[in-house]
Amino acid sequence: MATSLARISRRCVTPSLSSNLIRRYFAAEAVAVATTEAPKPKSEVTPSPDRAKWDYRGQRQIIPLGQWLPKVAVDAYVAPNVVLAGQVTVWDGSSVWNGAVLRGDLNKITLGFCSNVQERCVVHAAWSSPTGLPAETLIDRYVTVGAYSLLRSCTIEPECIIGQHSILMEGSLVETRSILEAGSVVPPGRRIPSGELWGGNPARFIRALTNEETLEIPKLAVAINHLSGDYFSEFLPYSTVYLEVEKFKKSLGIAV
Amino acid sequence: MGTLGRAIYTVGNWIRGSGQALDRFGSLLQGSYRLEEHLSRHQTLMNVFDKSPLVDKDVFVAPSASVIGDVQIGKGSSIWYGCVLRGDVNNISVGSGTNIQDNSLVHVAQTNLGGKVLPTTIGDKVTVGHSAVIHGCTVEDEAFVGMGATLLDGVVVEKNAMVAAGSLVKENTRIPSGEVWGGNPAKFMRKLTDKEIAYISKSAENYINLAHIHSAENSKSFDEIEVERALRKKYARKDEDYDSMLGIVRETPAELILPENVLPEKTTTRVPTTHY
Repeated sequence: MATSLARISRRCVTPSLSSNLIRRYFAAEAVAVATTEAPKPKSEVTPSPDRAKWDYRGQRQIIPLGQWLPKVAVDAYVAPNVVLAGQVTVWDGSSVWNGAVLRGDLNKITLGFCSNVQERCVVHAAWSSPTGLPAETLIDRYVTVGAYSLLRSCTIEPECIIGQHSILMEGSLVETRSILEAGSVVPPGRRIPSGELWGGNPARFIRALTNEETLEIPKLAVAINHLSGDYFSEFLPYSTVYLEVEKFKKSLGIAV
Repeated sequence: MGTLGRAIYTVGNWIRGSGQALDRFGSLLQGSYRLEEHLSRHQTLMNVFDKSPLVDKDVFVAPSASVIGDVQIGKGSSIWYGCVLRGDVNNISVGSGTNIQDNSLVHVAQTNLGGKVLPTTIGDKVTVGHSAVIHGCTVEDEAFVGMGATLLDGVVVEKNAMVAAGSLVKENTRIPSGEVWGGNPAKFMRKLTDKEIAYISKSAENYINLAHIHSAENSKSFDEIEVERALRKKYARKDEDYDSMLGIVRETPAELILPENVLPEKTTTRVPTTHY
């Protein structure tokens, strides 16, 4: 009884309310989308009536800034949740998983062949690095960056594994075939030597890697590459959401 | 010419129609396993019943961020991609010129073990690094929360203090002014030099400028995006060296120029960071 009442009331109230908001949103979009208004005098919070609470487009995946356009290779899987902004290059066979943010607005970010940046990572690049070297973030080939990591202006040489929830600060260098344990924090400008296992906060030497473990590192990257192939084949080259948008606009009486 | 144009348009419509019919047939073949894409229902600013966010018009809120409930954001601040500011059980107030960087979480505590009710207050010109977790804290003006830091209930970060990256600051810790605390659990590490304190407020200003270009880019309409894409494609082949050899001066289209204050300065000052 209560549920049916709720359902009926929702059906009566929602269309008019939401369609009003949506109509106003579309109208604002049709005129000029900007939050430009007369300058406000005091330091109080003055909200703008033009700010859209809901954008049917969602968040764009690739955000060009000025002349920089993020480049994604044709067989790289980039999840729909991801934000690539500025100078980002995702090379062949690599994958960027859900929720990651690769923000190349201050400096370049490169994700090498068959590497992967897993869920919810944030990869950023500062203007300058404390080492004085170029402060771009370079993730070389066959690197696995574990989930929820934060990479800032670091260089990761080929065939490494960065554990989950690790933090690599400006100017750090992870040399080839090394593994960083989960949760490790690499201070600015530190170097993780080749073929070793480091971990902790701040990252300390734990032990050297055996040869077998070293051979496993690129295999992990290739395995994730295969997995990303499954995800890649789920999506069509162009989405069919435009049909829904056209239907929606027609139902609100807006020109398609 | 009119009838030819109309004929081509009609043929185009037929092809699109048959394409859509093919798409429907393919979905039928895929059956229940097909991927159905819908409009994004993500709400950037969302009410929780009667609590609605109050966001100044100068603020950049990334489309993938979520500002929910009783949240107040002052002028010039920026909420970057993937953040969640959840003011559902209590109040969050973010000052002006503050930046809350990507994938961070700001939440409030209704009750905690001590029984206190803790709204979250973040002051002016604060830099909250990527993926930080701020839960029921007070962060005063011009403080710096490093990336990946977790600040638990009741933490007070005083003015000009710095929380190092990756640290876990336990409940009710007070981080005094001008000091760097870090580690898990967070302990005093060292004092900040004056240059570093000046850098904190400079970094907040840098982010205000960055937020302007991101905000402009994210609020573009479809037509503007397409125009710029065409411009970019056209401009991509220009090579300045070659042009100068030929004696040609080509103009970058206005839409593709970034404002000066975002590009790196040509100085040789080192960027102070948290040293261990």
